[in-house]
Amino acid sequence: MARLFTRQRGGGVVVRLNELGRSLVLDAARRVAAAERGEESVWAALLASPVDPSRADDPLVTLGRQRDMASNAELVVLTAGEDLLTDAEAWAWLSTLQVALRGLADEHAVTDEDALAAAPPDVHERVQALQTLLFSLASCL
Amino acid sequence: MASLPPEVAQPSVIVEPERSTSTVAVAQRTWDVVVWNDPVTPMDVVVVIFRRIFGYSTGRCTQLMMRVHHEGRAVVWSGRRERAEEYCVRVQVAGLRCTIEVTT
Repeated sequence: MARLFTRQRGGGVVVRLNELGRSLVLDAARRVAAAERGEESVWAALLASPVDPSRADDPLVTLGRQRDMASNAELVVLTAGEDLLTDAEAWAWLSTLQVALRGLADEHAVTDEDALAAAPPDVHERVQALQTLLFSLASCL
Repeated sequence: MASLPPEVAQPSVIVEPERSTSTVAVAQRTWDVVVWNDPVTPMDVVVVIFRRIFGYSTGRCTQLMMRVHHEGRAVVWSGRRERAEEYCVRVQVAGLRCTIEVTT
């Protein structure tokens, strides 16, 4: 099977995704960006995870984290059609796809291996697709 | 510059307010950055995130990742609270479950 992402000798990451793969990336990034705006309530909880569970987080820390996640997601939306990513863009893709994977798992209460095995086929398929993208991208970074 | 009236003038000897021992203790505590296991994140992704954020070798990142996988959590960094918070947020932005706690 051809690799979905490859590191280019001169720097950067070559994207070899078809339209379906790119639409998956775009959809994931749009949902993360929407969560930052509070439009995806389940995923929004993920973006609001506490830093120190023993006390309320500093609002500036929370805002900074949400801003960074949203910036990454917006960068992915902007570059979803590109064939060559810079390292910074590839890192934004990895971070955003990973946030999306966790959001999807939380949304469908996938808390352990058994729950993943018992998830509806379409959820299982989307989890596997995101894992495949992440696995390939991680090999380039 | 106008001088203060005698009743509010600064004392000639400035006495520093006492810091409670608990405040000192909190400031001197060491904090752990803890990464938690989840059932969906690919192992290689965890290694890449650790390497990128903490700058550890691939071998050390793999060891930490395996500890997260087998024990459900791993302390990936320890030190002052401000830096622990900063690292924790960076790990969270990269999509992993992460918190900070006082080193026990």
